[in-house]
Amino acid sequence: MALIEVEKHEVEEEQKPEPVRVRGLPFFPHFLLREVVVMCLIAGGLIMLASIYPAGLLKPADPFDTPSPIYPEWYFLYVFGFLKFWTWDLGPIPAKMIGVTVPMVLWYGLLILVPFIDRNPSSDIRKRKVAVTLGVIVLIGILYFTYFSIVHH
Amino acid sequence: MTLNDKIYKWLDDRFKLSELLPPIVKHPAPLNVVSNPLYCLGGTAFLCFLILVITGIFLAMYYKPTPAEAYKSVEHIMTAVPMGSLIRSVHHWAANTMIAAVMLHMMRIYFMGAYKKPRELNWVVGISLLLITTTFGFSGYLLPWDQLAFWATKIGTGIAGSIPVIGGYISLILVGGNDIGAETLTRFFAIHVMILPIAIATLLGLHFMMVRIQGISGRL
Ligand code: HEM
Repeated sequence: MALIEVEKHEVEEEQKPEPVRVRGLPFFPHFLLREVVVMCLIAGGLIMLASIYPAGLLKPADPFDTPSPIYPEWYFLYVFGFLKFWTWDLGPIPAKMIGVTVPMVLWYGLLILVPFIDRNPSSDIRKRKVAVTLGVIVLIGILYFTYFSIVHH
Repeated sequence: MTLNDKIYKWLDDRFKLSELLPPIVKHPAPLNVVSNPLYCLGGTAFLCFLILVITGIFLAMYYKPTPAEAYKSVEHIMTAVPMGSLIRSVHHWAANTMIAAVMLHMMRIYFMGAYKKPRELNWVVGISLLLITTTFGFSGYLLPWDQLAFWATKIGTGIAGSIPVIGGYISLILVGGNDIGAETLTRFFAIHVMILPIAIATLLGLHFMMVRIQGISGRL
């Protein structure tokens, strides 16, 4: 990641007639050293976690014996949560269809369109009240549905 | 002339190192990137990905994607293969950390408004990366072929199958029949170790190229 950031920097400077001096950390050796230290810390952390909490393995799969409870990976829990939460038919649309469409199709559709929906050019957080508020609401929503899926098992 | 100098000169004569290296080696990293750890999240995700590739290759040397052998081969990795349990557990933790890092990275982009012009397309590539990363997790979950793997996949493919219009096709492509079985396992294996790695490598290339061309947003 360091390479990308720094190389780009060069490209931009070349376009200007006089290179602007940007205050920063020289890439070599200081920044690189820091990157390597951070990478070692992360790798070390993973090895530690792996030794303390090894990956599990339950009984072999048995199509005739449904275990309970069945949890998906944690990052899919909110989908299950929403599916359980939403029990209302909307006119001709059955509740279950809404329950699967909203957290997957609609959610990813909206996510992809974010830069095209938010036309506010400012990246100052104080001038982006709507986007930030919506972001926080969605975040709380996802956390809530995750919680819901665990509690209402 | 020391040996190092000689090697450098040999390479320099052939690859013009003296022109290529200084821009990389000498230029300062911008201060906001250096001082704010939120900018590390993309790199953390990438580091996890590299660890996943390495540990994944080792796992693939012992893993057998058939209903009769899958569970036994994973059990073998966990109990008999030297360092097997460590490799599989690191694979497991790196996968979860990668997903968490990708999500947090996305939140940094969102709340800092780093997806705005000219970076709209990099956000779109980013969302595809998020989809690929979670699909990696979903397809990997089935491979140990234990109770959790089997039933979580049954429910997961069931939910994907009830998406209007396209759901039926998705579930047919994923499951490869009416029920989770040998077909599903080989499909998930192919998706997990061939299709998704190629897709993510391509998109990561695009992602990093765009970051390089456009720079990190909001620099001093
Ligand atoms: C496999 C997953 C991903 C990897 C390895 C990755 C890696 C990176 C890296 C290393 C950077 C440089 C800056 C930083 O680290 O913060 C970056 C920037 C960026 N990423 Fe990602 N990314 C991933 C997924 C995503 C996702 C899910 C999104 C959003 C939907 C996204 C959108 C962006 C954008 C817009 C930038 C430019 C940010 C700026 O200029 O400030 N990326 N990515």
